[in-house]
Amino acid sequence: MTVVPFLVIAAMAGTASLLVRDQRGWSTLIAVGGLILMTAAAAAIGSAASIQVGGTLFAGSEWLRLYALLGSVVGLLLVAIDVSALHEPDVPGVVVLGIGAAVLALAIPDAGTAVVAATAGGLAGVLVAAPIGAAARAAFVGVRELRALAVAGSLAIVATAWLARPLDALSDVPAAFGLVYLAFAVGVAIRFGAIPFHLWAARVADAAPGVALPLLMAWGPAAFAAVALTWIDQSVAPLDLALGTEQALIAAIGAVGVVLGIVAAWIQDDLEHIVGYTIAADAGYAVLSLAVLEPEVWEPARTWLLIFVVSRSAFAAWAVAIHGGFGTRRLADLAGWVRRAPLLALALVVIALATVGWPGLAIWQTRATLATLALPDPLAVIVTIAPLASLAIYGRIMLIGLRQPGPAVLAGRGDRPAWPEPLPRRPIVGRGTVERGFERAAHAATGTLDVLWVLPVAARQNRMLLASAAVFVLAGLALAVSGGGLGVPEAARAVPSISQPGPADPGPAEPAVSDGAGPGDGASGEPGPS
Amino acid sequence: MNPALVAIAAVTIGGAVLAVSARDVRSATFGLLVVLLGVPLIADPWPAPLAILVRVAAALLATRFLLIALRGDLTSGGTRIGWASEALIGAAAAIVGVGSHGLGAPGLGPAAAQGAGCALAALAIAPLITGRDVFRIGIGTLLLLVAASLIRAGLEAPPSDAEQLIGAMLTIGLGGAIAVITVAARSAGGLTSFDPESMGRAGRPPDAHRPPETHQGSDAERLASQRPIDAQREPGPGRTTRRP
Repeated sequence: MTVVPFLVIAAMAGTASLLVRDQRGWSTLIAVGGLILMTAAAAAIGSAASIQVGGTLFAGSEWLRLYALLGSVVGLLLVAIDVSALHEPDVPGVVVLGIGAAVLALAIPDAGTAVVAATAGGLAGVLVAAPIGAAARAAFVGVRELRALAVAGSLAIVATAWLARPLDALSDVPAAFGLVYLAFAVGVAIRFGAIPFHLWAARVADAAPGVALPLLMAWGPAAFAAVALTWIDQSVAPLDLALGTEQALIAAIGAVGVVLGIVAAWIQDDLEHIVGYTIAADAGYAVLSLAVLEPEVWEPARTWLLIFVVSRSAFAAWAVAIHGGFGTRRLADLAGWVRRAPLLALALVVIALATVGWPGLAIWQTRATLATLALPDPLAVIVTIAPLASLAIYGRIMLIGLRQPGPAVLAGRGDRPAWPEPLPRRPIVGRGTVERGFERAAHAATGTLDVLWVLPVAARQNRMLLASAAVFVLAGLALAVSGGGLGVPEAARAVPSISQPGPADPGPAEPAVSDGAGPGDGASGEPGPS
Repeated sequence: MNPALVAIAAVTIGGAVLAVSARDVRSATFGLLVVLLGVPLIADPWPAPLAILVRVAAALLATRFLLIALRGDLTSGGTRIGWASEALIGAAAAIVGVGSHGLGAPGLGPAAAQGAGCALAALAIAPLITGRDVFRIGIGTLLLLVAASLIRAGLEAPPSDAEQLIGAMLTIGLGGAIAVITVAARSAGGLTSFDPESMGRAGRPPDAHRPPETHQGSDAERLASQRPIDAQREPGPGRTTRRP
């Protein structure tokens, strides 16, 4: 099956969810239904299925299928956690639209069109960054996010357009090629909020709902970065030009982002700021991957993007569950949280393992490969081991949680299971054997009904437990992806067969078009490493 | 050069000049509508009728979002250098754009598109960098993205129908995003864009006026209680006031 059903479901469910935003329950229900359907549609996307609509090719690939599938599942878990913990308005609809727009961008092989789609998808995030009815700070944050999106999108649009032609006279002027290469890479860094372009992202991390942070700062920008990676691979790398200065500059942005992002996360006192800066730090590796023009970067870069989005979504979900359970995001107020939420503590340990990893694990090897390819040796070592410092961040959170519980934690929900008070048993008053038999049967039936009636109450009483369980599942998913499970390396390694015209290949490529085709049909969405 | 395209490009640039110059938000929105209607038509050959209809519908919807958010008696910052200066900036940038058509290599689209794109980009810079209210910064972001798409139209072959549809999605998204931000700002008392948390450090409110001594409390509290900046601005040259 092609990617079109996925896109149609996402567009319809996301729009309908936002249209009924005044009725939050219905809005969430529509979004959840949409995400379930999107999961099914994503699983059915053929790795070689492509279709031409309105003169534009929409192509599937194994990596796209995995991105869409993980995006739908993670989106579903995020919405479930949000409903259990905080139930922020508009978030479910925005998650659906954001994932849909990201997949749309990834499905279009033409980078010029894909960046427009990725930019349009990013605009959905403004709805949660500057929610309707919010105060001046929300408007301030929203307008800065909009400005960052516009600048990044404009840089990418012009860069891709400039290189999408036969560049007769300019082939001997590497400076011009370097400029457009640098422009797109800087656009990606701006979209990620990588240091030094992090100011807008820091404010978004403060003002936007925590559950929307993965979409705003990871999933959407990751799609943008994947488009950039494809564009560099097919349009810049084949030119074989000396672009050392530009590469060094991009690598510097990435390396500085990794190191300073971790430092910034360490000194924060607010959980969502910590989440935001750890995302910015991990985004540095994605920027690093853009600094490499060798084909060896293809697999680790695409592997990293999938690991990054899932693992950081898990950490953001954990922060949302804590916020919902104890009503605060400040570390100082969270003393003793481990005692009240042991399942969340276990989930944090899994998240720490999934985000830091160890030598030999896919996440570690991917980061090490990217650093080695992009940086000289001493710096590569520093950037490779820098995530170990994240252990201090997780350890600090855990140590605070092991203290004596503070007032906020004592007043919070906790994730220990609870059950509503049972109704008192009624005495048997029948006189005859038959009458008492009927009475017992009736009591058994009404007792079962009583249990069913209290299930909604039980769900409300166990909101934190449900959120913790969902976070734990998400953390397990993150660990699986970080360990190279679910076919992530294979999907990242896959070399599709369609090539798009670039400066080195001025002739128009006539793509093979198939619908629902299996592997080996010779059609797929993304160009392989050159 | 096709005279019809040049005329459409000129009208589009005129719309952008109006959008960045006008203090009246409805006039500025009308300028944006002119820009959004003109952009898909600066192409050679023109898009298919259906694609044009989609772009027109998107432009109308985006500006409708803005008008919903801007109901009431509101004014924006407008230009500080006057509409004539803005027009000259736009014209100069358009000439540069036409003169450098293709940016070093043969362009596959019309030179008028690149000229209009450069003009819109030049006009977007001031609102983006110096804009003090969310609507004006929103105008800057919209013009910047539209300018990028126009430059793309000047460099590349004409977009396909699906690309026109994605362009329409971007237009609607931009209109909706600016409208949402505008509504958020208005709920705090005006169109002003400032960070209440940084006001303590800044030591100077964004309108650069010295705070009256009668006001006590933090800058953030004072600004939150103030009227929009534009309501306090002295009337410009040529305007009269009726003071007792």
